[in-house]
Amino acid sequence: MNKRILIVDDSFYMRTMLKNMLTDAGYEVVGEAANGAQALEMATSTEPDLITLDVILPDNTGLDVLKNLRQIQPSAKVVMCSAVGQEIIVNEAIENGALAYIVKPFSEEKVLEIVGAALQNGASEQTA
Amino acid sequence: MKTRDQEYRELFMAEALEYYDSMSRHLSELERNPNAGPALNELFRLMHNLKANARAMGFTDLGEIAHHLETIFGLIRDKEREFSGALIKVVFAGVDALGSMIRAVGASQPLPDATALLENLDRVVRGEAPVLDEAEAGETEEESNRKMELSDLVYIQVKKLDNLLNLVGELVIDRDRIMTLAQELDNPALLATAQHLFRISDDLQYSVMDARLVGVGVLLNKFPRVVRDVASAEDKEVELTLSGQDVQIDRNILQIITDALLHLVRNAVSHGLETTENRLKAGKPVVGKLTLSAMTERDDVLLQVRDDGRGIDTEAVRRKAVERGLTTAHTAAGLDKEAVWAFLFEPGFSMAQKVTDISGRGVGLDVVKLALDSLGGQLRVDSEMGVGTTFTLVLPTSIAVKGALLVEVDERPYAIPLMHTDTVLALHPGQISVVGGVMVTHLHEQSVPLVPLRQLLYDEGVEPLPAANKSDIEGTQHVLVVNYNNRRLGLVVDRFMRQQNIVIKPLSKPLDTIDLFGGVTLLGSGQVCLVLDVPALTRLFLAKRP
Repeated sequence: MNKRILIVDDSFYMRTMLKNMLTDAGYEVVGEAANGAQALEMATSTEPDLITLDVILPDNTGLDVLKNLRQIQPSAKVVMCSAVGQEIIVNEAIENGALAYIVKPFSEEKVLEIVGAALQNGASEQTA
Repeated sequence: MKTRDQEYRELFMAEALEYYDSMSRHLSELERNPNAGPALNELFRLMHNLKANARAMGFTDLGEIAHHLETIFGLIRDKEREFSGALIKVVFAGVDALGSMIRAVGASQPLPDATALLENLDRVVRGEAPVLDEAEAGETEEESNRKMELSDLVYIQVKKLDNLLNLVGELVIDRDRIMTLAQELDNPALLATAQHLFRISDDLQYSVMDARLVGVGVLLNKFPRVVRDVASAEDKEVELTLSGQDVQIDRNILQIITDALLHLVRNAVSHGLETTENRLKAGKPVVGKLTLSAMTERDDVLLQVRDDGRGIDTEAVRRKAVERGLTTAHTAAGLDKEAVWAFLFEPGFSMAQKVTDISGRGVGLDVVKLALDSLGGQLRVDSEMGVGTTFTLVLPTSIAVKGALLVEVDERPYAIPLMHTDTVLALHPGQISVVGGVMVTHLHEQSVPLVPLRQLLYDEGVEPLPAANKSDIEGTQHVLVVNYNNRRLGLVVDRFMRQQNIVIKPLSKPLDTIDLFGGVTLLGSGQVCLVLDVPALTRLFLAKRP
């Protein structure tokens, strides 16, 4: 089974780039959400293995979304995506259960490395 | 062909212009109410996104300005700065500079220098007074003279394009009707208008078809992972090569073919390629080669799945087909390898020895045939024992319009999609022999059975067709040779009418259960013309041959 990923980012450009990188690497992108409400809805309906979550979203902060996500979809691994300058929020996100973060602008290798590690990490946690 | 870099650039531009428009809107709001929370949040978010996108595109200065403005709006939001005085001027200068830079990107021009502006933005961030010159004073006037620009990229739902395509289909039918009427009435003015309408609707049709095209890469690029998963489950080493990702095809055709391609690829890895041990024994490199490629051939798109594995064991397939009662031992013995391979695509036919997770669950390659049949596509197989197998899917580029050959039987027209036609022949009785009650002719050293189309269309019930008699064959026979699943069949018709592009409409209930007809089309004369389904005709002939 291909690992299934939900992308949450309010920029279409960023979503497209992430989606291309992830699908090229063989992941299945099951949804793209542009705001927090969509993210929660899609996380429930698609039950992804991993969610990439932008720190800043139009309707609420990525941090609020993260907290809600952890409640409704505890099995989903979350990787935060952020441009530099939001380190404080990112640290808080890690404390709230995000597994890793990707700093924009990202390179393909970096994204795949972090996503791969997050999925692996989650798997070993489950089997342990 | 659009490369991915071009696509990113267009997306970046579309979004940057949208962001720029929103920024201007929120800034005016902020001017009226310097503490407007939502506007500040939005400005902060827009700057943040523009910064990230610009940096990803490599527009460093653009990203830097957005970064500084993001910081400044963050400070205002946190009440550490006030949106007033000199700060407003610098912010406006910053947003204007973003606008000019975005436009420069759009026009592929070098970005303007931003050193002075960045220094001023730096000062504001540090809490120092900015250095203003006359240039900043004139900004607002310049803004009002600037022309407004909207993004030149639109995203559209597939179902809207489907609807558009259906409408164009209807239009083309009416156009043909008007064209015929104009010729009948022989009115020069009407004829000229009809010809103009013909050209315009032709252009319209191709524009709509063109708008639905996507690169095959969107599907092919999903396969590296699939291959990796199947290979690791089968404990094989496989090197996958992709090519032709830029070949364009209708989005819905790609959607329909997805499962079929997935099946062929899984099949190639688990059955086509040998185990590591067997590859070594055969003196082949340990790593199996799998190639997925797309190419265009005339109006068709070819998707090819090629492996360098064991190849199809034709004799084993022949035995299995007899075992399964698909054919008699006698008939099977006389079939050439292409005809034998065709059995692989019969429902439930599987050559798998063991059932694995990946394939060999009895759901066989027939899903591939079903998908192709629904599109009017073709499948070609090529294989050599010990060398490898190639499956080629022949797909139409577009679903809207199909080339068809119109034939006549008992003064009724029938359309046969060109996808399934091999050749037309005019045979005199001496070129036709009768073998076991079936008319046969020889074409390129291959014997091709012939059947009057009239018999297939009119003969009801399950009884075999009447046996042909050599003495009944009189005069020149017009034969259309069709090809389905590597089986050729000659249809004897009264006459050939012409070749024409047709728009196929599905049959509505209760006629949709008659599988001999793939649909219906309207001719310019207003005459209804049934579109024949070659796979169904071939199956009917095989079931009822004398």
